[in-house]
Parts: sequence; structure tokens; C-alpha cells
Amino acid sequence: MGSNKEQLLRDIGIVDFVLTELTLYLDTHPFDRNAMEYFNHYNRIKHQMEKEFSMKYFPLNTGMAESNKEWRWGMAPLPWEGVCG
Amino acid sequence: MQDYLYENNIDKFPVAMAYVPWQKFDKMFDDLEKAYCTGTIFPELDKPFTGRRCV
Repeated sequence: MGSNKEQLLRDIGIVDFVLTELTLYLDTHPFDRNAMEYFNHYNRIKHQMEKEFSMKYFPLNTGMAESNKEWRWGMAPLPWEGVCG
Repeated sequence: MQDYLYENNIDKFPVAMAYVPWQKFDKMFDDLEKAYCTGTIFPELDKPFTGRRCV
């Protein structure tokens, strides 16, 4: 998995895609243990990646926004900032 | 969510109805980047359109 900001953000998006696929499958196959194991595995990975991203750069959701010196969620860049030049 | 075996219940299936076999999932793609670009993590759902018919 990548290290710099863009790569890490992209990787989080890819793992999120995997979780969405597994969620859709599990919605119709609620007793498929194999799929549940895959889901648990990638869910933990996504949380670790989000935590890492939040510590290195900024929180991606308010659940990751624990702050002390400044309100990190509010100080985070907005998704569209710096994009339309 | 049982899949009624089509083979030996053929007479019980009324005509003019669509039937979709139940997805059986075993292993997902290892390469997540490729799965993301393919658009699915399920090999059994990876059906690229080849211009005339699906593979």
C-alpha cells in the first residue's frame, strides 16, 4: 500500500470499494461465513489506513477527529479545495 | 434464500418467467487494484462485453 497522501487516499478508496461489494453480497447471503471473514479482514485494514491517514494528514470523518490543540476536523482542507485552480 | 435446483425441478418452473441462478462465492480477486478497475471483486461476475457477446 502507498505511502504518500494521494496514494494512501486512493488505497482507502479501493478498500472501501471492496467492502461495498462484500456488503452487497452479504445482504443477500447473510450466512456466508467465508464472505464475512473477507469483510472483517478488509474492514480492519480500512480502519488502520484511515487512522494512519488521520494522524499523518487530517481526519476523513469526525470519528477520527479527536483533537487537543486545534479542532482538526474543522481545520482539514475541504475536498474541493485547490482542485478548481 | 435457497437455490431450487433447476435440473431436477424443471417441471415446477412456469414458462415466461426469468430465473437467475444464485451467486456462489468462493474466492475474491487478490489484486484489489485490478478488481477496482474491473469493477468487481467477484471473478464470477467479471463479464467484460466484447462488442458482440459476453465472454
